[in-house]
Amino acid sequence: MAEYFFELLTEEIPAWMLRIYYGSVLDKLKEHLQMMLLQVGGLSDVSKHVIVTSTPRRIVIFLPQIPNQELDQEHKVKGPPRKVAYDTSGNPTLALSGFLKKNSAETKDIINDGEYVQLRRKVSGRTIDEILRERIPQIIESLRWPKMMRWGRGEHSYIRPIHSIVSVLDGAHLPITIFGVASATTTVGHRTLAPQKIEVTSYNDYVTKLELARVIIDADRRGEVMAKRAQILSHEIGGTPSVDAAIWSQWQYLTEYPGVLRAEFERDYLALPEEVLVMVMRVHQKQLPIRTIDGKLTNSFLAVLDNDADPDGNAAYGNSFVTNARFADAKFFYETDRKRTLESRADQLAHLQFQEKLGNYLDKTERVMWLVDRLSGDSEAVRAAELSKMDLVTEMVKEFTELQGRVGGIYAREEGLAEKIWQSIYDQYLPQSTDDALPRSQTGAILSVADKIDSIAGFFRIDLKPTGSKDPFALRRAAQGIVQILLNRDKREVKVGIDGLIDLALAAWKLETNIGKPMPEFADDASVRSDLLAFFAERVRTLLEAPAYGFAYDEIAAAMEAGWASSLTDLVDRITAVKAMRNEPDFLSILDSAKRIANITSGQESSARIDPSKLESDVEKRLADLAAHVGEQIGEMIAERNYKRALETFAAMAPELETFFDEVMVMVEDEAVRRNRMALLHTVGNAVMKIADVTKIVVDRREYRP
Amino acid sequence: MPRLSFQDLILRLQNFWAERGCMIETPLDVSVGAGTMHPATFLRVLGPEPWNVGYVQPSRRPADGRYGDNPFRLGKHYQFQVILKPSPLDVQELYLDSLRAIGLDLTRHDIRFEEDNWEAPTLGAWGVGWQILLDGMEISQFTYFQQAGGIDLAPISAELTYGLERITMFLARQSSIYDIEWGAGFGYGPVRKQEEYEFSKYYFEIANITTHWQLFDLYEREARLCLDEKLVLPAYEWTLKCSHVFNTLDARGAVSVTERVGVMKRVRDLAVACAHQYLASREALGFPLLKASNG
Repeated sequence: MAEYFFELLTEEIPAWMLRIYYGSVLDKLKEHLQMMLLQVGGLSDVSKHVIVTSTPRRIVIFLPQIPNQELDQEHKVKGPPRKVAYDTSGNPTLALSGFLKKNSAETKDIINDGEYVQLRRKVSGRTIDEILRERIPQIIESLRWPKMMRWGRGEHSYIRPIHSIVSVLDGAHLPITIFGVASATTTVGHRTLAPQKIEVTSYNDYVTKLELARVIIDADRRGEVMAKRAQILSHEIGGTPSVDAAIWSQWQYLTEYPGVLRAEFERDYLALPEEVLVMVMRVHQKQLPIRTIDGKLTNSFLAVLDNDADPDGNAAYGNSFVTNARFADAKFFYETDRKRTLESRADQLAHLQFQEKLGNYLDKTERVMWLVDRLSGDSEAVRAAELSKMDLVTEMVKEFTELQGRVGGIYAREEGLAEKIWQSIYDQYLPQSTDDALPRSQTGAILSVADKIDSIAGFFRIDLKPTGSKDPFALRRAAQGIVQILLNRDKREVKVGIDGLIDLALAAWKLETNIGKPMPEFADDASVRSDLLAFFAERVRTLLEAPAYGFAYDEIAAAMEAGWASSLTDLVDRITAVKAMRNEPDFLSILDSAKRIANITSGQESSARIDPSKLESDVEKRLADLAAHVGEQIGEMIAERNYKRALETFAAMAPELETFFDEVMVMVEDEAVRRNRMALLHTVGNAVMKIADVTKIVVDRREYRP
Repeated sequence: MPRLSFQDLILRLQNFWAERGCMIETPLDVSVGAGTMHPATFLRVLGPEPWNVGYVQPSRRPADGRYGDNPFRLGKHYQFQVILKPSPLDVQELYLDSLRAIGLDLTRHDIRFEEDNWEAPTLGAWGVGWQILLDGMEISQFTYFQQAGGIDLAPISAELTYGLERITMFLARQSSIYDIEWGAGFGYGPVRKQEEYEFSKYYFEIANITTHWQLFDLYEREARLCLDEKLVLPAYEWTLKCSHVFNTLDARGAVSVTERVGVMKRVRDLAVACAHQYLASREALGFPLLKASNG
């Protein structure tokens, strides 16, 4: 067994790119390394042999206990057809001897079966150093970082310039070259605290020596060190650090030698809205507020530093200084803003452009108000919509754009507006991501949906749709937000389908706005509508496949085929039924029946009715009776959304259907009879097709053991 | 803790970078918003010619003016700008050495390089880099230029920009820019406060909007005339004047959101045309600095 370790020393990589999560750059790196070890063979669980970690300047790979040698492999080499390789009396021809010669093989290597002559070739596995020397540079160079750069002469594109490479296999240097930089066995310590060169011989040696040189390689350990320090510093003043996973995960990757300091801002600033203080600290300064045990904000906060101590208090002084300066600005904005009410800002909104071709924010507000009215009929909800965009013209939002919505909500609260109103304004941009919270109330959910669908429909009308990786107006995220809200079933449920929502939004664009002119006509509504439906269908699929729902692609596709746009909660019920059924033995009969029907009726008109007088055989008549009876039952179950029972009931028809297919010929000469049989099959099939097109479900038949 | 005056800081940075092989250029004698707009940066980063330069640039941002009242914000501040082309591999080390040269013991301060990419839409330029935080406060911008005037750059230039007032104030632990010493016993406040007040009042309240729109049109026309005559350096100078007039109108609150996009595009079109013409003109001259560095 061998041990390999590797370090790539670069310039500071953005913290958010270094976290390892599914699909991240370093997750991909791990995946590539595991693939490499899988090809090498001989390990039962490759994931145990791949360790990847990082600091802002270093990407570190450690492969403990990997095989010294790749397993030998056997290949087959295809030669000439046997007819050509041997003459009529079975003697080798020139063609065969040429083939053997070319492959330096002998007749004993020939495999005697098949149409062609084949050779058995044994390829001996390569040594691990050969493999690593080839694969490590390929894997590192091919990593696709979210934002790449060039440097120096500009020949290479990577996350940051590369300074040095350590590559050590079993204590010896394994020379490799990445982007023209040759590896060695030396690295350097902390940038300012211990910048000297360090010679390393193994991974353990490396970890130990770097720790002495003020670098903690393991990101988790850096996190632990900081968490402990943050607790101590907070407890000293009787508080506790704010819970904030996003800040913690950044801190881990902002330092090589983790430290935390406590500093204060001027107590007077506590009079500002808490959201503003917290946002300035966490977004602009990456600081973590300290709260009292009962959750109140204090004027102390925690900040990260790349040192375990702040010997002269310089970092504490600097952090206080900057935070006070920022709060001074925020206080100025807050006081200026509070001189006017939200309502009085409508004239300013008229001068704020939403989009060049789509008018201003006052126009948008009117459309959103109309939509909210249609969706809720609630005057308080309409009032929330009316005030929802006013904060865009406040000084606070101009400076801290991330606070849009929340600032409006805070100001509405301070103006004494009802909770339902201010909370809806506050929550209007939720949810921002798949794991984000939804608006707190149904009113807020409706405002959020109305605002988003209005933007999406507007941009689609002027043909500014997202394409490929380009989505400058974040329409995918907005659509995802709508889907998340519409899928919700608690007290915030918004009962509208995507189709109804699209129709409303397109209608809103036809309204006469405050300035007395209807918005200009752009693309034809029918094509915009179908584009929007396709766009939303994609979002629905993506969301339902995500871990929160975790449905399989084929289950989603099958249920969506039976309709999705009129109700997403209904769609989820149908998918859930399919998912529950697919692993039951009955499912094969549902599937086989549906497939046989689909095969035979494909391309045939489905609206024909059964003519009882043309039913000839008993089998046919029995099936027709059963279909009518069961169809009715299934219809009732569907009406009650009891989809699983409906599928089970359908499965019960399978034996009768089987007999029908065995005994009755559908494709007969007599057209009337043929059509009638077709209609019968359609009737049977339709019963299940209203729930899902089960033929889209992929099954592995080996899983079903009777 | 070193206690440097504003001018000590400038002198030390100039000396430091002169010793590291930079030519010390003088400030551009045209109003600009940042050292990046000096031709010694915006034009010299184009094409293959090597270039190492350092200079102070007074940077005017009309909208940032606070009538001399705000301790941290100025309508005109001073930047020290360094361009290293091509960017050397030890550019971060050089930068840290410059901090040591102004007297900082880096083992007793927290220095971090945090992602902060730069983009100047009116110049068709962007780059990748960091803000440099000294004890949590941003004191410099560090950018690897990737594109200027819409042209992909190779070689790549590293740009270092020091915020001179902030660094002086911070190192002296003063709580207002106006409290720092400029040099020779002169205070920054007494020297500059009147200017900050008058220009704030001018940019926010007095500047004649009609005149400025006319100036914009005239300057733009003059820039086009120069471009037609293949005189790229005067063309670029008129482009910068357009840009400053635009900033003045903006501070005056005279540019609506709709107009903004259109006016910015007019400036950008000029800047992009200048960049292309500059590159062509240097090529026609056989890239003189390339020869100088080879010979």
